[in-house]
Amino acid sequence: MKVTELWRFRWLFLNLLIREIRNRYVGSLSGIFSIIFNPLALLAIYAFVFATILRIKFPALVEYNFTVFLALALWPWLAFQEGTQRGTLSIQSNGNLVKKVAFPHELLVYSAVTATYIVHLGGFLLVLLALVLFGSAINLLALPLVISILGVQFLFTLGLALALAAMQVLIKDTEQYLSPVFMIWFYATPILYPASLVPASMHQVIMLNPMAYFTGRIRDLLLYKNCQFGLVDAAEIAGTVVFFLLARLFFNRLSPHFEDFL
Amino acid sequence: MDQEIFSADNLQSPLVCLKNVGKDFPVASTGLGHLQTIWSLLTGRGDYARFRALRGVDLEIYTGQSLGLIGENGAGKTTLLKIVAGVIKPSIGKVEINCRVGALLELGAGFHPEYTGRENIYLTAALMGMTKSDIADNISSIIDFADIGEHIDKQIKHYSSGMFIRLGFAIITALRPDILITDEVLAVGDESFQKKCIKWMESYLSDGGTLMLCSHSMYHINKVCHKALWLHRGQPRLYGDSSDVTREYLAHFEEKNSKAEEYKSHNVTHEKNADEKYAIQELWLEDQDRNHVSNVTNGKDVYVCGIAYSPDQRIPVVAVGVLRSDGTPIYGISTEVDRFQPNELGTNSFGFTLHFKRFPLLPGKYLIRAHAMDPEGMRLFDPMECTLVVLGQTREIGLCYIKHAWLPGKRAHS
Repeated sequence: MKVTELWRFRWLFLNLLIREIRNRYVGSLSGIFSIIFNPLALLAIYAFVFATILRIKFPALVEYNFTVFLALALWPWLAFQEGTQRGTLSIQSNGNLVKKVAFPHELLVYSAVTATYIVHLGGFLLVLLALVLFGSAINLLALPLVISILGVQFLFTLGLALALAAMQVLIKDTEQYLSPVFMIWFYATPILYPASLVPASMHQVIMLNPMAYFTGRIRDLLLYKNCQFGLVDAAEIAGTVVFFLLARLFFNRLSPHFEDFL
Repeated sequence: MDQEIFSADNLQSPLVCLKNVGKDFPVASTGLGHLQTIWSLLTGRGDYARFRALRGVDLEIYTGQSLGLIGENGAGKTTLLKIVAGVIKPSIGKVEINCRVGALLELGAGFHPEYTGRENIYLTAALMGMTKSDIADNISSIIDFADIGEHIDKQIKHYSSGMFIRLGFAIITALRPDILITDEVLAVGDESFQKKCIKWMESYLSDGGTLMLCSHSMYHINKVCHKALWLHRGQPRLYGDSSDVTREYLAHFEEKNSKAEEYKSHNVTHEKNADEKYAIQELWLEDQDRNHVSNVTNGKDVYVCGIAYSPDQRIPVVAVGVLRSDGTPIYGISTEVDRFQPNELGTNSFGFTLHFKRFPLLPGKYLIRAHAMDPEGMRLFDPMECTLVVLGQTREIGLCYIKHAWLPGKRAHS
């Protein structure tokens, strides 16, 4: 389906999005837990283990607080991970709809991922505000650029979720492999440690990971106040767009067959 | 955008046009076979293990020409409906849809239990392609039609199944599609709501609406559809005027049944229907001396007697048909047509006797079939049958005596 045709379904998308947000986050205790307590608890335990118990002092981070350093990358990562996981299951869990009603299936994936991003963006902004109030030197002027980077990361998440959602319909245990993969991915991404600590020989490999770019760039903007954009940024953005388009092609190739497998 | 295509020449161009459409379903595979299936779906080579659900369907549906799909379970009726509805894509062939399709494959398919009725209306209507302003214009009429009072603002999970269905149907009434696709006749809910559904359906059809439905009720197919398509094991077997197709279908079915089982004898009493439907409870034949019989002599009087059950004390409509033993109808008549009212025999039961004077059928084996219907004559319930053997000696040929006389001949054009 062409993007212009998709525009006709904007109202449906909005409805699905609202439904998604309400289902998951409004009015249920676990929803509130997942928005606020889950990330805060993660942040607290990492800060406790790394800064208090292990007493790790990164040489690159002498003038920065480890908790602040971690918080800036943790929320974008959680949005990415949760968005991908929700998106992966979105087609299967709406199987009854897919089997009975004709509409562009990709909207289900988009609404699942978008809902996660909206909620975590809200959490992220609150955390930034809290950090500033407690006196951390965060470059809030770069916020529009940060949101643009998050937008590119959002596009990357959409692409990954599209591909995985289609896989999930055809291969039911796709989702089970996601948790270990995300675990490895999390540690392979410079979130708990600065990218500068990665040995030079492995630096290139680590930077092939788009998530390393996104989280790194967000820290750059907010913490190191580096607002210079260059060739790497252009390449990452272009790469993400191409990835998304290919993933969407993959999804839409398979989507007419979903009904047969659900 | 649909309106532009669907413009002045809509009388000529079909709403729906299918050319050589077929559908395969992949057969469940495991492990590596699965990856192979995905690969062939992606490349479109189609060399995966599959099951043929539908083959070679050519179809054109024009405005106002409702189509009924008939066939046994698993013949591919629902698959074909889903293809026209756009829910599944055919494996081969071409599908052309030139109108706004409203598909009701299941009432309330998009409903979410945690939402109120009103919120579900918005979501479902959006799924059916209505815009925000469409919905805003129609929401009050939808709520009126559903008529479930204050429950409209309560969560759907607290609804009774009847309220659920009412809401699902009400949304369709607002959609007013050019062609409505449905899996069964839309008479749902309690008695008064069923009447509302039927009334809406009649006005929809008389306003030029087109229907595509599959049903196992030949009576309904005949009543609402102009054309019928008989699918047999995934292939079209017969297409034409609904009366012709349903007749052929029934004949085929009767033949098949008659081989499988003996017909019920005339004095079997139907157990009282647990689900409170109109039904014929007893059916028997009497000869001219009003004795119970199963054989009659041709040319003598025959009485078809029966007792009909009415769950709500309203006088039911009774239809009696005479069929050849292969199921070909010979004659059918109902109390509604003759304006006769069965008499009350006791609580919920009504009696009738149909008197055939000088029974004109030639010797042979026949079936008498009786149906009870609700007073509106819309819903047809399970029939009861008994066999009738006509005895006699005659050299006439055919089914039925036709009153005649031989006269002296004369020259043509003299």
